[in-house]
Amino acid sequence: MIQPAIEIHGIHKIYPATGGNPATHALKGIDLTVDHGMIFCILGPNGAGKTTLISILSGLLYPDAGTGYVGGFDLLRDRRRIRWIVNLASGQANFTDNFTVEETLTYFGMLYGLPKADRKKKADELMGFFELGSHRRIPFNQLSTGLKQRLALAKSLINDPKILFLDEPTVGLDPRVSLLIRSRLQEWHQKRGTTIILTTHQMDEAEQLSDRIAFLRDGQCVRIGGAEELKRSIQFHERITIRGRGLERAPELIGRIPGVSDIRGDRNQVMCRVDSRQKCLNSILEAVLPSGAIIEHIDITRPTLGDVFVALANQSDTDQRVLF
Amino acid sequence: MYLLHLQTNLIQINAFFFKIWLITRKRVFHIFEILFWPAIGLISVGLLTRFLDLEPNMVSFILIGVIALSIVQIGQLDISYIILYSVWNKSLKQELAAPITIFHLITGAWMMGVIHSLVVFCLLSLFSFYAFGFRFLDQGLVPLALFYSGLALTSAVVGIIVCALAFRFGGRAHVGATSIVSIMILLSGIYYPVRVLPQPLKALSACIPLTYFLEYFRSLVGFPASIENPLAAGYSLVAIYLILATGAMLYAIHYSKKSGILLKMSE
Repeated sequence: MIQPAIEIHGIHKIYPATGGNPATHALKGIDLTVDHGMIFCILGPNGAGKTTLISILSGLLYPDAGTGYVGGFDLLRDRRRIRWIVNLASGQANFTDNFTVEETLTYFGMLYGLPKADRKKKADELMGFFELGSHRRIPFNQLSTGLKQRLALAKSLINDPKILFLDEPTVGLDPRVSLLIRSRLQEWHQKRGTTIILTTHQMDEAEQLSDRIAFLRDGQCVRIGGAEELKRSIQFHERITIRGRGLERAPELIGRIPGVSDIRGDRNQVMCRVDSRQKCLNSILEAVLPSGAIIEHIDITRPTLGDVFVALANQSDTDQRVLF
Repeated sequence: MYLLHLQTNLIQINAFFFKIWLITRKRVFHIFEILFWPAIGLISVGLLTRFLDLEPNMVSFILIGVIALSIVQIGQLDISYIILYSVWNKSLKQELAAPITIFHLITGAWMMGVIHSLVVFCLLSLFSFYAFGFRFLDQGLVPLALFYSGLALTSAVVGIIVCALAFRFGGRAHVGATSIVSIMILLSGIYYPVRVLPQPLKALSACIPLTYFLEYFRSLVGFPASIENPLAAGYSLVAIYLILATGAMLYAIHYSKKSGILLKMSE
């Protein structure tokens, strides 16, 4: 059986009390398995423990309890070996302010022990890949936010990592740069099969990139699954909006149909929730059309990952409320 | 395989040499610290000896102290800055995510510190000869090399302690460097022999390696040392302090990763 890229059990992290602040139990027994070559997304509200978890997996933070393996190496005993095969990029990353793009990549290439010829080749390749070539001699502190982030990503690939940790890689970036970064990451992932662990608040990014998603809340993993699986796990309902004329009787007629709820309407519009679009839509049309209403437009709103996020972030441990 | 392993380690050591070299090249202020202040120190003290109309051997006594202090101060700067610059730039976690060890870090930075301090040592020695008539080379190349090596190792101890303080206290740790060097000025016999210190302070000065290196070299210009073999005492002490300082730095790094200070310093 092939060992997963990452496998952790019972990871706890407690930040000690400082100044007047009490101790914080940031991770409360996280179990996680990530297969090789997967893009695994970790979602959660601020303070859920996402950065703490990524920091532990990348060796920058030591857990207080738990065991695990990263790239086949023991999380607690083989930390330096793990650092050889992983790398990370975080949003708003910082480097030495007056080092140029080229100097920064050269420096990090040396930190990973790359010989001179390999280093130069790798730096040139990454500068080309992230469109940094024309900025190679610009100091870090003179780069725009988008260029800084591209440099951070270029640096994160300097050692061809087997596992890449990305902590909000597109935070604060404009849509054009975000799209560029996402497409580059997908391209890299497809070519090299790198396992990627990603945290983000951009739901479309999570949905577009990830194979599996873990949702963290208050230091615990509350859900794991694919995007569609997560949407189904919360009792989400699609919403149907019908616009037209003569819809005054529509709410009364639709209310008799099983699986339809939360009906609101007036003469020009009626909205409702349905348990199943496939089952209810035909019944709704069969109920409404004979009343003489003229239907001009039908909207069907499917639940998004953002809806899942809000639901899970607000949900209590025993609460399985239906949304919408 | 062994050669590949050796090559990788040499490249990683060179990374920190490269970093300090770039910082030196790009920051005028760093060159000021390395050249300007030591020169000012030497000139002002040298002129003081002239004003006081001191005997030539007394001038030698004081100039040995002043130049030794500069060597220790400059040598520790590069080791201190290798971490302090990362703290000030909030880039520490990016660097520590790489598979480097403190051996790479200290060795690479110290190599640049040795080069800087050697250049300054040569310049100050030349100046002390032309301005004040004192020649370091008169004592012989081997004694000079032994003296200089002791100072370089002492600077390594100071630099490593400052790095340990940086992991614990962040960017304010550079105050530690100033404090440690100030203590050396007071207690090691930079400007006066340690026998003039009050008894409790004499006991403290006996714990500082620089005290013995200064006594060793001054014994060659007519000022007998307080013990039979000050060089052995100096090297023994500096070896102990190197081990302790390295242990302190390892602990500080461990603590910073355990407590989350490392992440906070990079935000």
